[in-house]
Amino acid sequence: MKIQNMPKVLFDVGSTYFKVYEEGQISHYFRDFTIPIYQDLKNKCHKTIESHTPEEIWICSSANGGLSTLIIGSSHSFSLKYTVNTAFNSGINIIDTMLYSDIDTANPPIEKIDVVIITGGIDGVKDIFDSRLFEYLKKVTYNHIVYAGSKDNIEYLSNHIENLVILDNILDNRLKINEKALKQYLTDLYQKDIMAREDIKPLYQITANQIYPTPYIVNLSLPYISESLDVADPFIVIDIGGATTDIHYSTDLINDNITGEGGYDRLVFKKLGVYKSRESLIFTAKRNEYVYELLNYLGVTEDIFDSNSKEAVKFLMQLAIFLVLYKVSRHHGEYIELKLDILNSVVLTGGISKVLSEEDAVIIVKFFYKKLLNFHNTPDIVIDRNYEIWTYGMKHLHKKDKT
Amino acid sequence: MRVVTGVVGNDVHVVANRLIEISLKERGFDVYNLGVNTYLEEFLDALIETDAELLLISSLNGEAEGWCRNLKALKSKYNFRSNPLFVIGGNLGVGEMDPDALIPKFKAYGFDLVYHQKDLNESLDEVEEVLKQRIEV
Ligand code: B12
Repeated sequence: MKIQNMPKVLFDVGSTYFKVYEEGQISHYFRDFTIPIYQDLKNKCHKTIESHTPEEIWICSSANGGLSTLIIGSSHSFSLKYTVNTAFNSGINIIDTMLYSDIDTANPPIEKIDVVIITGGIDGVKDIFDSRLFEYLKKVTYNHIVYAGSKDNIEYLSNHIENLVILDNILDNRLKINEKALKQYLTDLYQKDIMAREDIKPLYQITANQIYPTPYIVNLSLPYISESLDVADPFIVIDIGGATTDIHYSTDLINDNITGEGGYDRLVFKKLGVYKSRESLIFTAKRNEYVYELLNYLGVTEDIFDSNSKEAVKFLMQLAIFLVLYKVSRHHGEYIELKLDILNSVVLTGGISKVLSEEDAVIIVKFFYKKLLNFHNTPDIVIDRNYEIWTYGMKHLHKKDKT
Repeated sequence: MRVVTGVVGNDVHVVANRLIEISLKERGFDVYNLGVNTYLEEFLDALIETDAELLLISSLNGEAEGWCRNLKALKSKYNFRSNPLFVIGGNLGVGEMDPDALIPKFKAYGFDLVYHQKDLNESLDEVEEVLKQRIEV
């Protein structure tokens, strides 16, 4: 094990702005889109960069927009669920799934997929896949393909799928999750992807360390949150961004057989952002059975959907909070169901922390709890005003084994 | 031989589940215990992932009927490679009911063997016997 240098400067390079942490202070800068990221960073932070060695500088980034995956698995409750969970926790944003038994009727994704993941069966289980898989894969365009299922199918699959990468089975021999190898593979892939991006590559001139996916870092940060913010377990973190909304939650909130290594999981709602995916956020909201009551409750009319005012942005953020809670509640079967009745804190981060007041946030959470859950007590709302949650994980990175 | 077991539905009675796991292990089974509060889909998914030859469901709180009524329809969506034996036991009825009517009812839902308030060890002896016969066939 090699202990890395203590990080002194941290950068989070996002798609719309970047943040810098130095000596306990966090600064934010909007990206100047007319020049490359590296140039932008140097212009704005040259003093910081010049006064530190590349070993002291650590960077995380979501500027590549994340990777896309297609996951093929043999059951919803185990191989697919564990793999989707691991992929989200590794910072993957776009996930398509296919249950293997649906292969005869499934439509292959049209877009090019960064990585296809095939999984299924505990070790010892054979003959899960057949030639239909290879026919199907011919219709998918992808960059990488990995197998994380039963050992007993490796030979068969390797003989038929070119460049198949073999990883440890995601299912252990007790049917529990074994996510380590896949998580490592996906975070490495993300890093390679970032490194290959023309605009990110030059960042390796200022850091000697791996550039990590931001969502992965946020996930690492969660165990340390209560050291700095007034947060009580179990909690969720809602990260409302321009394109996607992420939710990170304590695994205590699920009635489930998954117990990963961190105790926190991540889920991405790729169509619930307030800027880039504003249209789909509104579309989802309009179809929600509670929307009119909600508008009424907030004292706004339907016209707000078409407005670009400050008021409207605030409203969209409230809407995103509501829809996220709705989608993880028992009202919605499609996603994971969180035990919101035992939730103690809701932490809000992302662009939202600059726009929404405590009051705006409390109002919407109250509506949700009263109206949908018939609860009079609501969890505490904590807003990450400094937008600093990501730094907690970054500060602990250097302690991780580096092999 | 592999067996998937657990307690179906929203049922928290865990004592029998632990005892069943221990008994099955002593009998030499490779046990996949999904624990309490397990949905029917999860049991069937576990059969797919493990190729277990036996599914042994418990229900103690009286909700078995509600949770298992759709077993047949659900089974038809799966393609089990191991042709598993479906067994259910525990407290399968509630209130005033005819215990004798429970067995045909649960068999009609799609279970091969049904044990309502029966001794665990005697029942498991019988289950093993049936499994043996299946293999011989
Ligand atoms: C302890 C207990 C609880 C505890 C459970 C604690 C825990 N986490 O385990 C608590 C207080 C939480 C509880 C709650 C409830 N309980 Co309760 N509980 C009991 C009690 C007193 C003992 C259960 C026990 O552990 N027995 C010891 C084990 C070893 O025996 P067993 O469970 O019967 O299992 C044996 C056999 O059934 C058999 N077996 C079990 N599964 C299988 C499967 C197969 C394939 C085979 C062959 C055999 C088999 O093998 C086991 C070993 O011999 C029983 C009454 C009783 N004396 O049995 C009621 C009882 C089970 N509970 C009952 C009820 C109604 C409830 C509640 C609905 C009450 C309520 N209104 O809230 C809730 C349900 C909560 C829920 N969501 O599940 C009823 C069920 C009635 C029915 N089925 O007709 C019972 C029978 C009490 C009664 N007479 O009314 N309960």
